[in-house]
Parts: sequence; C-alpha cells; structure tokens
Amino acid sequence: MTIFDPMMWLIAFRSLFQHRIRTSLLGGAIAVVTALLVALAGIYVGMKETLLVSATTLMSGHVNVAGFYKSTASSSSPVVTQYKQLMEIVRRDVKDLDYVVQRGRGWAKLISDSGSMQVGIGGIDIANEPGFLKVVNLKSGSLDDLKRPDGLLLFEEQAKKLDVKVGDRLTFSAPTYKGTNNTIDVTVVAIAGNIGMLSSWNTFMNDQGLRKLYQLNDETTGALQIYLKDLSKLRPVQEGLRKSFAEAGFELLDNDPRPFWMKFDGVNRESWTGQKLDITNWEDETAFVQWFVTILTVAATTLIFVLTVIIGVGIMNVMWISIRERTREIGTLRAVGMQRRSVLAMFVTEGFLLGLMGTGLGVLIGGALTAALNAAAIQLPKGAQLVLMSEKLIVTPTPGWIVFAIGFITGAITLISIIPSFRAARLKPVTAMSHVG
Amino acid sequence: MNAIVSIRDVVKEYQLGTTVVQALRGVSLEVQKGEFLSIAGPSGSGKTTLLNLIGCVDTATRGVVEVAGKDTAKLSERELTDLRLNTIGFIFQSFNLVSVLTLFQNVEFPLLLQRKLGAKERRDKVMQLLEQVGLHTHAKHRPSELSGGQRQRVAVARALVTDPLLVLADEPTANLDSTTGNQIIDLMKTLNQQKGTTFIFSTHDHKVMQHANAVIRLADGKVLERVSAREAVEHALSLGEAPQAEARA
Repeated sequence: MTIFDPMMWLIAFRSLFQHRIRTSLLGGAIAVVTALLVALAGIYVGMKETLLVSATTLMSGHVNVAGFYKSTASSSSPVVTQYKQLMEIVRRDVKDLDYVVQRGRGWAKLISDSGSMQVGIGGIDIANEPGFLKVVNLKSGSLDDLKRPDGLLLFEEQAKKLDVKVGDRLTFSAPTYKGTNNTIDVTVVAIAGNIGMLSSWNTFMNDQGLRKLYQLNDETTGALQIYLKDLSKLRPVQEGLRKSFAEAGFELLDNDPRPFWMKFDGVNRESWTGQKLDITNWEDETAFVQWFVTILTVAATTLIFVLTVIIGVGIMNVMWISIRERTREIGTLRAVGMQRRSVLAMFVTEGFLLGLMGTGLGVLIGGALTAALNAAAIQLPKGAQLVLMSEKLIVTPTPGWIVFAIGFITGAITLISIIPSFRAARLKPVTAMSHVG
Repeated sequence: MNAIVSIRDVVKEYQLGTTVVQALRGVSLEVQKGEFLSIAGPSGSGKTTLLNLIGCVDTATRGVVEVAGKDTAKLSERELTDLRLNTIGFIFQSFNLVSVLTLFQNVEFPLLLQRKLGAKERRDKVMQLLEQVGLHTHAKHRPSELSGGQRQRVAVARALVTDPLLVLADEPTANLDSTTGNQIIDLMKTLNQQKGTTFIFSTHDHKVMQHANAVIRLADGKVLERVSAREAVEHALSLGEAPQAEARA
C-alpha cells in the first residue's frame, strides 16, 4: 500500500477528524503561520512593486543612458549630447522596448516670495510620458500644462514650504555648464501628492524650460530612460546597448553598478574631456533605497523560519502522541501484513494532509488579511514613505508566493512527520500489540 | 508432510531487567492442515507467546518454527510480513479493528495490502464474508457502533478474507459473554469445515475447548500433552478450573 492508495488518505483524514480538537489547534497554528507568510510576502511584493513603479517612472528607467560631458578635465556636466541619434539606436536595437523618454537633469535654487530651497529638476516632455501620468497623484492644477515652457510641477510638501499654489510664479537660479549663472521664471501648473523622498528634493518642469535655464541646445538632455516589456531582459539589453553605442562611435564609461550621481567625483578625477555615456539599470539607481526591501525580506524570512520551527516542534510532538495512542493499531496493521514502508507512508500522509489543510486555510485567511489591509489604506510612517515613494501600504499577494507558502510549510511539516513515522514503522508487531496506553 | 505448522525445541526468553524469563522451554509440536486446534493452559503458561511465534510477529530465542514449510528464522522482515499477509489470519482477544474505518473497509484492508484483486472482486468477496458472519447489513458502520460479539465477527471476516491456510485466534472469546463466545467458536468451526482452513486458538475456557479436534495443554512454557477435546475438558473440570464464561455470568 502506497501513498497513492485512497485507503491511505482515508485513514489519514479520518484519524485527523477523530481527534478534531488536536487537529483544529494544530491546523489553526499552521494556518496562522501560512497567513502571516502570505501577508508578509504580499507586503514585500507590494513594497517592491511600488518602489519599482515609482522609482522607474520618476527617477529612473528600467535601463538608463546618462552621460558626463567634460569641457575641462576637472569638471563634468550631467548631460547627454546627440540624444536624438541615441534614441534612434535604442529604438532600432532594443527588441523588448516598451517606450523610451528623454529627461533633463538639473540642480537649482527655487525662489518664491516667502522662501527658497535647493531642488533637483527633472525636465520632461509630458506628451511622451505615459508612465508618469499613472504614477503621479495630482492634487491640483493640470499635468497637461507641463507642456508650457515655463510649467512647473511641485509636490505638496514643497508647495507648503514655499507657500505657493497653482498659478503662482517662482524663479529658478542655477549655474550653467558654461560657468555663468542664469535665472528663469516658472509658473506652478500642478501640485502632486508626496511620493516618498522624491517629494523632498525633486521637481519636474517642461524639458524646453530646463534647456533654457541651462542654455542647452535641442540635441542635449540629461538621460534617456528606457522601459522594457520584459524586465528579465535587463542585462542583455544593457550589454547590447553598450555594443551598439560603441559601434556608432560613442565613448562609454566602464560598467559601474552605482547610481549616476555617485560617479561625479571619480569622473572629475579622470583626465579625459568630451562626452562619455554611462549605462545603468533601475536597480543600480535605486540601490540606496533597496536596503529597506532587503531588511524587510530578511526580517520576514527570519520570522517565518522561527514560526515554522515552532510549528514543526508542535507537529512532531503531536505526531508522537498520535503514534503512542495508535501503537496497538500499528501492531495490528503490521500483524495483518502491512509493510514497514506502508506504516511510514500512512503517518507521513497524515502529516502532509494536516499541512495541506492548514496551509489551505491559511491562504484564505492571508488573502482576507491582505484585502483588509489594502481596504484600510494604512498610512505608512514617514521613514517608510521616504524610501518606498508611497504614502500608503500596498499589499500584493501573488500566486507564486501563495504556491510557495503552501509548498514550503506543507513540505516542512511532511518532512518533520517522517521522524516519528519512521519510529512507528520500526516497531515490532508483538511489541506494538502489547502496548498499554 | 501435511503439517502447516512444525515447531521443534523452541525456547523463548524475555529479559526483564537483569532477570531472564523463559516463556517457552523447548516446545515441539506439529499442526496438520485443516485442524481445529486449541491451546489450553493457565495464565502465564506461554499460550500467547506460542501463537506469536507461529504468527511470525515474534521470533524464537532458539529452536525451529516452520509455517507453511518455511523456516521463519531464515526469512527477512519483509518476507515475514508477506507470509503473515498471505498465509496467516489473526483474530485478537480485543478485536483490534481500525476504529476510523467502516466494517467493510476493515475487512477489505488485507486485500488492499495484497493488491491481487480489482475493486469489484474485492467488494464481492468482502460482502460475501460479511454475509457469512451476519453483518452485511452493517457494512458501512464503524466498529464503535457494534457490540463486542459483532466486532469479533468482523475480526473473523478480516482474518479469512485473504483465504489464509492458517488462522490464529488468541483467546477470541475472552471479552465476550458465553452465548456470544459460543457463536464465535461455532462460526470459526463452520468456516473450518467449509473452507478447510486450519484454526489454532488459545483458551482456558473448557466450554470453548470442547469444540476443538484436539487440545495442546501447556504449563510453565512446556507442552504437557496433546489430547482430545473431551479429555481436556474432563481434565479441566477435575482440577476445578472455573470456566471463564460461567465465572463472569
């Protein structure tokens, strides 16, 4: 008789049912651990996806082509010249391309009637930014007005600090790459909800306006942000682009998986002049916030491991009790001709079934818990908002994690049940049958 | 060469702390096919130990135990299990049915272990046996829903379902009242006569003993004699052994 025999499952199921209270307590504990795993996995995936969507839309593409332009050996400007030619190459050579946008990059002083602050500037062509519209949570004004050369988008926190509203005029003041200082007037056309740390230091304005501030020509931008249909193709796309750009005569920095802005010092110490391109991906650019996700993953994994061990010890104890209670039954079954391996299979089946029922229930509870968390739209603490670029806790349970939760916990319980089951199978029929208790 | 069981100079010792207890002291006997044999003797005489050795659920310390022509000492654990499954049926004093299975499933269980018959053949065979023991209408009941006598009849059906050459019954009537006990022994006797199955049962109840073809009398781990049922009963009565069933009544 093997575990594929319906009788084996029937005995296991009815034995569990016969000890309903014990089964309920243990199954309930398994369900709680599973529900926690599903919920924690949902939080992990939700945070990672939120970070991915926000970060890749607002501050990075899946793949970025940025560059340093050095007019002298010791100073560099974060610009890409001849970007239209680069875009053509991207469109021609990247097979999994979803879309590509150009973004200006700058760092300037923003001055209002009542105050000022240093901010980063993203220069965008709003007509060609499909992802941006989905991510930004507009509170007032119109994103369409960013088509105006003097259009500026602020986040709520910045608008509050500067005490401005839609329609107010402000001034940007920045040193140009030619070494002189320049100012332009801009109009607040949109105010968006805060998106983590980005809302503290970054603004968005019309790309033409940004070029005007830095006195750049139409062929120059800050970076190309490339969005792919399939994220698993990240590395091959990066490699392919390095090759394509080199073949087209562009010079590239060596591959360096650090955010673009961390490379200034190194580049300024190098002796070359002119343009060099720097290709990074979204993970490189957001590495400084991903530690949070890593810590979350480690904490969740540790918690699940500890809970699984506790449940495992409980399961093993219950199996010992069950086997002790059924020692005479084991002796009888062995006497009537059941092989040792079948006795082993019988108890392992019971452990597996208990695990499966517990995890099944746990997935339902976990699903309900994640739905409740999403419905509650829990406000994230400020610290978490900063790194996750989201105000609310978003929980995303995925089929992969649900299957993993069921498989991992059921598998662990089945493995644990082998130890007492093996002991049961080794019992001599005469010893088992004469057992009292 | 018609012996189904052949035992020669069998010794069985148990270690109890530092003391070695001899449960069987050089037992020899032969049981022929088709016999309805009783093993009688007072408590502690070695009846159960002897049945355990014949049933291959225990091993002898010394001596030879042959069942169906096979020396059990030379068989592996797996082969012993197969021998029990295919050659021997067991009826226990405490019925030993699987509580979570129905009567039908309890009787069907050895057939599932054998994996020789298809579902329909199994069903027909189990229902036929349940009918023979008068419980076909209770096939879907659980053991806990039955009386002791009914449970023992299920145990008889389970012991016979694989058509074993040999059925061992360890005090099959000990937990039953005298009427039910007699019914069980009658049932066993009928099946012995109809199918030719060899039955060996232990008892110290002279009313049960009297149904046997022959009685092996054991005392202090030794075979005293092999006598007819009438002689065994007379001997028991002359010693003033209180018949168990009567004492309970």
